[in-house]
Amino acid sequence: MKITTKHLFWILLGCLFLSVAIGVFVHLYLRPSVHFIWEALPIFNAMYGFIGCIVIIIGSKALGHYWLQKEEDYYEKHE
Amino acid sequence: MIEWFHPGLIYIVGALLIPVLRGRLKKTYLLLLPTMAFINLLLMSNGVFSSEGKAWFFPFFGYDLILGRIDKLSMVFAYVFVISSFCMALYAIHIREDGQHVAAYLYVGSTLGVVFAGDLFTLFFFWEVMAWSSLFLIWYRRTKGAYAAGFRYILVHFFGGICLLGGILIHLQMTGSIVFETLRWGWGSNWEDIASYLILLAFLINAAVPPLHAWLSDSYPEASVTGAVFLTAFTTKSAIYVLIRGFPGLELLIWAGAIMTVYGVIFAAIENDIRRILAYHIISQVGYMVCGVGLGKLGTAAGEMGINGAIAHAFCHILYKALLFMGAGAVLEVTGRSKLTELGGLYKCMPITFHLYMVGAYSIAGFPLFNGFVSKTMVVHASAIWHLPVIWLMLEGASIGTFLSVGLKLPWGTWFSNEKPVCEAKEPPKNMLIAMSITAFLCFLLGVCPKVLYNLLPYPVHYEPYTSGHVVAVCQLLLFTFVGFWLLRRTLHVKPTITLDTDWFYRMAGKRVIWFCEKPLMTFSRFIDMKVMRLAGFLVWFSRNPTEALNIKKKEFELKLKKLVANPEGVKEYRQSLEEERRRYPGELPKLTLGASLLLILLFFSLYLILYLLI
Repeated sequence: MKITTKHLFWILLGCLFLSVAIGVFVHLYLRPSVHFIWEALPIFNAMYGFIGCIVIIIGSKALGHYWLQKEEDYYEKHE
Repeated sequence: MIEWFHPGLIYIVGALLIPVLRGRLKKTYLLLLPTMAFINLLLMSNGVFSSEGKAWFFPFFGYDLILGRIDKLSMVFAYVFVISSFCMALYAIHIREDGQHVAAYLYVGSTLGVVFAGDLFTLFFFWEVMAWSSLFLIWYRRTKGAYAAGFRYILVHFFGGICLLGGILIHLQMTGSIVFETLRWGWGSNWEDIASYLILLAFLINAAVPPLHAWLSDSYPEASVTGAVFLTAFTTKSAIYVLIRGFPGLELLIWAGAIMTVYGVIFAAIENDIRRILAYHIISQVGYMVCGVGLGKLGTAAGEMGINGAIAHAFCHILYKALLFMGAGAVLEVTGRSKLTELGGLYKCMPITFHLYMVGAYSIAGFPLFNGFVSKTMVVHASAIWHLPVIWLMLEGASIGTFLSVGLKLPWGTWFSNEKPVCEAKEPPKNMLIAMSITAFLCFLLGVCPKVLYNLLPYPVHYEPYTSGHVVAVCQLLLFTFVGFWLLRRTLHVKPTITLDTDWFYRMAGKRVIWFCEKPLMTFSRFIDMKVMRLAGFLVWFSRNPTEALNIKKKEFELKLKKLVANPEGVKEYRQSLEEERRRYPGELPKLTLGASLLLILLFFSLYLILYLLI
């Protein structure tokens, strides 16, 4: 069977669901030791990963667009 | 029985023979050198050599140079340098230019020299050899950009070298010792503190700590395909080694490291050049190590965890970063392109390269079963033991950015993002693929058998990376990063731009300095030159006959007055007589009587006496 994008999408969705479900299970039954209060939240890492990714993309893009990104011959032009 | 044999010497002396050999013999020889060095290390580990601790002392101006300080710390770094150099040599074995191989082996050998240096002079010597031998790996790309970046690279490193030498000399003056051990640290302004500042500055430059990092992201992407692979491993990681030796547990390093991790990630997210993306991730990953060194307060369990974490991460990082640069280098080798805007859809042409690259990407991101997972988490865990929430969040956040750029953006833009390949491509030469496979295997091996690595570390490891909570946490973090990427992948689309960094200051300052020298400084100098020459000319003229000269000057003044009051005829006559006197000048010199001469001499001496008394 040929794996299509649709299959990959469902596999990914399954993985996401599984990671959250196992996270909840681990926190409820195995009670791993936590160092910070937020680690007690079973889906903290999922949220941090998602929000962190969006913040990094938008933050760095904004930084680049308004300040750091210049045309490729920037240094040659200023010679 | 032999006391000891320096593994670095195998590379340095061995490199001299490379130009003599040809064909298969040369290829075999290139692989033989790291193999010999590895056997040498195994012999050292098994106590075959008679020396323990310190070996190869040489007297030098009343001090002892120690070329061999052998302990677990130096051994673990030596192991990874030698193992990685084998893979890198295999990757570069098809290169015909002998110079590249010689430069690479001098670079590796001098790094081993740094690792085994027991005193500061030996350290400085190998530090400098490391700087200029690595320079040739950049210049061998033979492009205009590479030459320029190489010059900037070496200038920064020479500056670092001068700081190191200055620090060493002041340290020697104050303590009378050149032994390289933990350096005193205080925020004071006495000479001993200044020595520590200078030495730390030199170490931080090589560790590429912002704002002193721009040499790395500027020069590594400009290096030759195979040279860049060598460059990724040695300079920054030897800096981590010396930081562990000199400044363990320095609090400043915790923050510097954490900032590095985030800094590299942000810049990599907007970068277009694939090797520059990876270069920024060297800065980010070295940040974990610097942070680990800062957390490594000696004598505490948490501190030992920090140091162990820094070393383990350096070990793993060298392997996966070499693999990533090999993958990016393979793309550059076969397509001649390295910008994401010029790449895409290459999966159909080079799937093996893609899969091997992805092993490196999973490793750097810290996926379970790959080596990044077992080392990076040690540093993060150390920050948790010290209970530093902000540092912990920064380190975890940098993991997100790492997976985003190296694991998603770069492979997506290079191997996918287009239905068809944007240019002609094929798999790279076999030796490159084999080197990548070996490195990938090592990344995987350390990921599944972390004990192999942990046994090499200087302190006993009481840490288990594969706990259920931990594995799930990392999986959640990275999987949801993927979701974020997928939703915003169009926003992440790169443009053909460059990113300004702190090298802007010296690149622009350099140009401004040259402009200043050529324009205002030159004009000023010409002006002064002209005035001085005129004054000198006048003095020569005047000294020929001062009495007559004064007379002429007096007449010139009178002529100016006459011009204002007398009639033009009178002025004309006066001018003619003045011209006549000028022509005759200096004329006959007045003869001084003996008395007048004596008077002049007395006058001169009196003036001299007054001047002397006044001053």
